[in-house]
Amino acid sequence: MQKYHDSGEEMVDVIVIGGGFGGAAAAWKCACAGLKTVIFERGESVGDKIISGLTIPFHGFLFGPAFIRDGNPPVERPVDGIVNYIITDIDAGEIHIDDTLKVPKPFSPVFTVGYNAYCKEFCRWEMQQAVKAGAELRTATTIVELIQENDHVKGIRTETGEVVRARIVIDAEGSHGLLAIQAGIREKYPPDTISLADVYVYDMAKTDIDRIFGFSLRFCWGWDEQKIAPPLGHGNGLMVWPYRDSLHMMQDQCLRRDDGPVYNLAADLQKYHENITAKLPWWKEEIAPLTTLRARMWDGFEIFVGLNERLREMPNYAAGILLIGDAAGLENTELCDGVPAAWFSAEIAADVAIEAIGRNDTSATFLKRYDDRIRSHPIIQWALRSTNRYNLRHAQARHDERQLRQYIHDGWGLGFCRYGSTALMQIVLLFLRKDPSVIGKWIRMYMRYYRNWHFGHFPDGPGNGPEAGFPDATPEDARRLAVFLRRMDRVLSLLSPLIRLGATLLLPLSGAANPVMGTLLPVTEPVYLRLKKRFEPKLSPWGQRLADAVVGSDPSVFEA
Amino acid sequence: MKKTRADIPGVEWVPGSGDFITIDQAKCTGCAGCIKVCLGSCYGMRDKKAHIVSLDTCLECGACWYVCEPQAISFSWPPGGTGFKTMWG
Repeated sequence: MQKYHDSGEEMVDVIVIGGGFGGAAAAWKCACAGLKTVIFERGESVGDKIISGLTIPFHGFLFGPAFIRDGNPPVERPVDGIVNYIITDIDAGEIHIDDTLKVPKPFSPVFTVGYNAYCKEFCRWEMQQAVKAGAELRTATTIVELIQENDHVKGIRTETGEVVRARIVIDAEGSHGLLAIQAGIREKYPPDTISLADVYVYDMAKTDIDRIFGFSLRFCWGWDEQKIAPPLGHGNGLMVWPYRDSLHMMQDQCLRRDDGPVYNLAADLQKYHENITAKLPWWKEEIAPLTTLRARMWDGFEIFVGLNERLREMPNYAAGILLIGDAAGLENTELCDGVPAAWFSAEIAADVAIEAIGRNDTSATFLKRYDDRIRSHPIIQWALRSTNRYNLRHAQARHDERQLRQYIHDGWGLGFCRYGSTALMQIVLLFLRKDPSVIGKWIRMYMRYYRNWHFGHFPDGPGNGPEAGFPDATPEDARRLAVFLRRMDRVLSLLSPLIRLGATLLLPLSGAANPVMGTLLPVTEPVYLRLKKRFEPKLSPWGQRLADAVVGSDPSVFEA
Repeated sequence: MKKTRADIPGVEWVPGSGDFITIDQAKCTGCAGCIKVCLGSCYGMRDKKAHIVSLDTCLECGACWYVCEPQAISFSWPPGGTGFKTMWG
């Protein structure tokens, strides 16, 4: 039932500003709690204003909103790892490859480090779930002002002057933060923390992508003077994402270096693109003949905000309002991806909003708990504070190839274990302590996602009906897989108290994970890589058998 | 009537966006930062001051606004449902 404020203006429980990755997730949770939730999206339809080109890392799916983990979002390709091309002399063809961060066989390609996705399609799927849960979506509506009374946010004003009041506002307006700046909650970021991403999308046949890329991303890094990629530490070289039947190339660079002059990005990014497509033999000879340009787009986003303590400490809440995702500056400095942080913060914001409305207290004092939870979230804080991308500039300054390889290895190779193990261990243990059966949900998620991707069919996606026309034969391996999953559930159920106890006991020790990995990795990594090289050919057929079993299974086996 | 451009495929522009970016000429120092970072070539220089040539190729990335140190550029979102629209975002 429509409610009205004393002023006659419309009154709802929750307003969500922005229908992106975080906004839809926050709205879903609020709507599920029975709150009257309205999402305002400025695009004509959801996803219109989104620039694509990304891998959503595995931790977003495993530890993010349950409806995404347990659902069937549209993904473009599973990602089993990264191949880093470290180009030290393009003319002489001196290229070092670091492909240590790769899920080994037989786990790849079913088990992944993430999924490539078209943001537009993914956000539309998310929004569909939020609307199904009861949230109301209002598109083509730009919010021009937050309504504040005695420094308490009470609602929004649209471009047509319409005022909608809410008990709480969740601001998911994106990285520019225009409304939060206007309301005096946050300030505009300096240009050296902002990256401009220049994205090219190419059509490429799926069979060619399967053959050339498989499931791996390709990143290119090179000395600045070669002008084949943006300056080290002031962007991230060049990234190529294989999708189902398209290829995404992204080059991005910060707008300015520290306090130096603004870069001539219009010229530089064009130059990098020309050089990489004309000079790099891999692209020129292998990729270019098989591709045609499908789309080009660009966007600015915060990249190094988390490394600046003053900016990192800016408020992400005020009386009556919570800021999530990019609007709160929650980017992943290393992976250049804000989706997991948007999902985590959306869930936390929705939880706090539900608590605040339940207690009829949306004061800044009460909402501080949102900030506390954000600042104690292991993955968000790890993502914000990772320095390998930024530090690439030091390797460039000294022209130190050994250091360059080390930073790349630590950021986008197996060396990441020295930096990310504590955060990952903490969050895994927190989940296991709460509910050990989540292991079964994680495994089923990987299998369901792979199966969906294989058939290009996402059962609860926009326009998709029930699955039809696919082989219903159940091969022997699929039957075995179903039995394995059933037994796994029983074992997890039996061991549940033990897993909970183990997680509780291990949690205080998780802080030691990074230093321990730092000590062990120099010894264990070469051994692991040798074993992987030796046994991979033998394990590959097992990986294919697992993938075939997943594809040949009844989809109900993977339902959460 | 939506507009498209051959040199920026996969993007449409819905008319009606109006002047969602403006330049205060009195504040502009003519540093040309906005020209340097605009991949849509929306800006030009006249009498040592930046001016907006056209927002018809603007993707609302905000780069011009971020680099404008004298705060001469005002940036707001265009009216709902107008401005650029990605097909493959």
